[in-house]
Amino acid sequence: MSEAVPSSYSDPSSLLYQLESILESDPLIDEVGFVHPSQFASMSDTSQANTTEMSFWSKDHKVGISTESIHPLYTAAKHAFMSSLHQYKMLIPLHSKKVDNISATSSPLTGLENELMKHSRALLLLSCDFGTAWNCRKEVVLNKQDIRLYLDELSLSSLVLSCSPKSERTWSHRRWVIKMIAGKCTNLEEILKNESDLANRIAEKSKMNYRAWNHRCWLVSYMPESQVIDELIKYRDWAGLHVADNSCFHYRTRLMSRTLEDSWYKQDLKATEICQLWKEEITWSEILIKRYIGREALWLYRRFLSVCWMKHFAGHSHTGGSGSGSGTHLDLFVENEIKLFRWCKRIPDNVFEDYQAQAMFAATYIIWLIKEMDEDEGVRSRRSVVVEKVGEEVEQVVNKVCPEKAFLLDLMLTKTKV
Amino acid sequence: MGQLAAEKHTKYILQIEKKKDDIESALTEHLRINGAYWGLTTLDILGNLKAVEQEAVISWVMSCQHESGGFGGNIGHDPHLLYTLSAIQILSLFNKTQILNIPKVSTYISTLQNKDGSFSGDKWGEIDTRFSYLAICSLSLLNSLDKINVEKAVEYIISCKNLDGGFGCTPGAESHSGQIFCCVGALAITGCLHYVDKDLLGWWLCERQVKSGGLNGRPEKLPDVCYSWWVLSSLIMIDRVDWIDKEKLVKFILECQDIENGGISDRPDDAVDVFHTYFGVAGLSLLEYPGLKAIDPAYALPVDVINRLFLK
Repeated sequence: MSEAVPSSYSDPSSLLYQLESILESDPLIDEVGFVHPSQFASMSDTSQANTTEMSFWSKDHKVGISTESIHPLYTAAKHAFMSSLHQYKMLIPLHSKKVDNISATSSPLTGLENELMKHSRALLLLSCDFGTAWNCRKEVVLNKQDIRLYLDELSLSSLVLSCSPKSERTWSHRRWVIKMIAGKCTNLEEILKNESDLANRIAEKSKMNYRAWNHRCWLVSYMPESQVIDELIKYRDWAGLHVADNSCFHYRTRLMSRTLEDSWYKQDLKATEICQLWKEEITWSEILIKRYIGREALWLYRRFLSVCWMKHFAGHSHTGGSGSGSGTHLDLFVENEIKLFRWCKRIPDNVFEDYQAQAMFAATYIIWLIKEMDEDEGVRSRRSVVVEKVGEEVEQVVNKVCPEKAFLLDLMLTKTKV
Repeated sequence: MGQLAAEKHTKYILQIEKKKDDIESALTEHLRINGAYWGLTTLDILGNLKAVEQEAVISWVMSCQHESGGFGGNIGHDPHLLYTLSAIQILSLFNKTQILNIPKVSTYISTLQNKDGSFSGDKWGEIDTRFSYLAICSLSLLNSLDKINVEKAVEYIISCKNLDGGFGCTPGAESHSGQIFCCVGALAITGCLHYVDKDLLGWWLCERQVKSGGLNGRPEKLPDVCYSWWVLSSLIMIDRVDWIDKEKLVKFILECQDIENGGISDRPDDAVDVFHTYFGVAGLSLLEYPGLKAIDPAYALPVDVINRLFLK
């Protein structure tokens, strides 16, 4: 059954009342959207007359708000919220420090807090970055110190993200909640998994969403080691299907970086596993680069992988204990990268743009590698070998496909460190 | 190539300054003080700041201030560093920072510094390198940098540097042109640009230029006029601006103008707004477009305003 709510009243405060009642009546609402009134007809039962006059629609825990109603609703929600906030600020100093738990449920303060929570919820759905409304919710939750209220904040912010996935204040509110409950709840790991899933769902709908991915990167520092590995494996296929999403590859950068933290890979047993993980990631990256021609994000990710590989594995002794010495590992790696460059620099006669981009990225990748070798003492000695081997070829590619980037050649040719 | 419709842009800004009742103004009222800074700075660069009623603007800005010393985005809204810098910048444009209780404002800002040198945006504790920039720029404009631990603040910013040469909002966060501007700007103001690998960062920044000449904020994204400011000012601060095609960028910005009604949009043929109008005009100023006042790449204020403040 769909529930079409006719806007029988045109005045803003009754619109607000209707919206708040809908939100109140179903705590499981998980999605809010803004709908042009002409779309209501196709969403509602045919029996509904006059759908163009509807302000709200709700079904299966989803709510639609008419785009025509946003402005009056916003005005009403803001006034209701601001006036409750004003009263709250007058009242709170009188109550400070000595809240009587027994009468707390019926005190004027509690009544006002309920009003504030109700109005700020409606307001935030309409104006997601209204910081004062998020702040006052924090204030109220903090005063009550009830873990369930913190979890309610996670639900509300998910709801807001369903219609405003890039809202910075909303993501920030979630981080505040998690920081507050991190030491108090027993199922933090589960909460973190849910956060990662939520960020993933939103990243699916809203491409290259910096705020969503940034939130996910932030979670990494709270993750136990096992979850870091799980995330890397679980979302590898997803990344393979979103090769233009730089944020998604940066997330992998963040996860991979954590495996290099001292406490992890300095343990001998772990080091072998981690080395294996890195090898697989590097191989996978090469497959993607060859499959998806000319994708910037893939090449940038490879720059990261290569630099870390040279620094932490190829130039060091604990690369798996094959006993072949560090130099060989590095030479093998560099040989492979040169092969990759040569593979990618070929531009077939009949195709243009993507292959040109591919050749450019391949060339700048080698320049990058050479520059970074110069920065790292462990591998610096091999730098001139690479320049000798492919320097000229790289120069040719740059001059042919991206002459405007010729200045980068200077970074390859001038040796800065001795 | 078209010309800058300077007169139209002035009209456009003056007209949105008066408009408060349409839905766009309503839904952005929580950050109106940012909007005021963007609009007024644009007017100043265009040489038309006199067209606004200075007294009314200043008294409105001051009524956004809180007991704590910080500023809200509008009257009755909570204070935050985001709005405090805009308030200080607006007062600087009018040469009126002396009406502030400077010790009070600078105490508000300095108490937001954390032990590791980072800054929270407000008392609720979210940390971001943008807030480091806001704090450092604000205090520098108030000549009060001695109120914070600058060394620690710089240390934190450096800890947000990525292997690609860029900076993110916290350690390990993805490089983003907006964040890079904040970090490089803060390092420029504190005289610490030597911590930046200029070749590496310049490389990442110049790769933001796409075929149309416009700049994007991150790899694989569409170009957007606002990055004409963030990428360009960063390239200027690290002395690598010749690594992009400036002429093509000028052309891209000019193509984003609404020639008829004024204003600049993110991309050609999109709807204009004050945010992109500011970044477009400021970008053209950095590109030394004729007829515009020069703008300082670190403080994001006209150079003559900065000189007036520091040479006083």
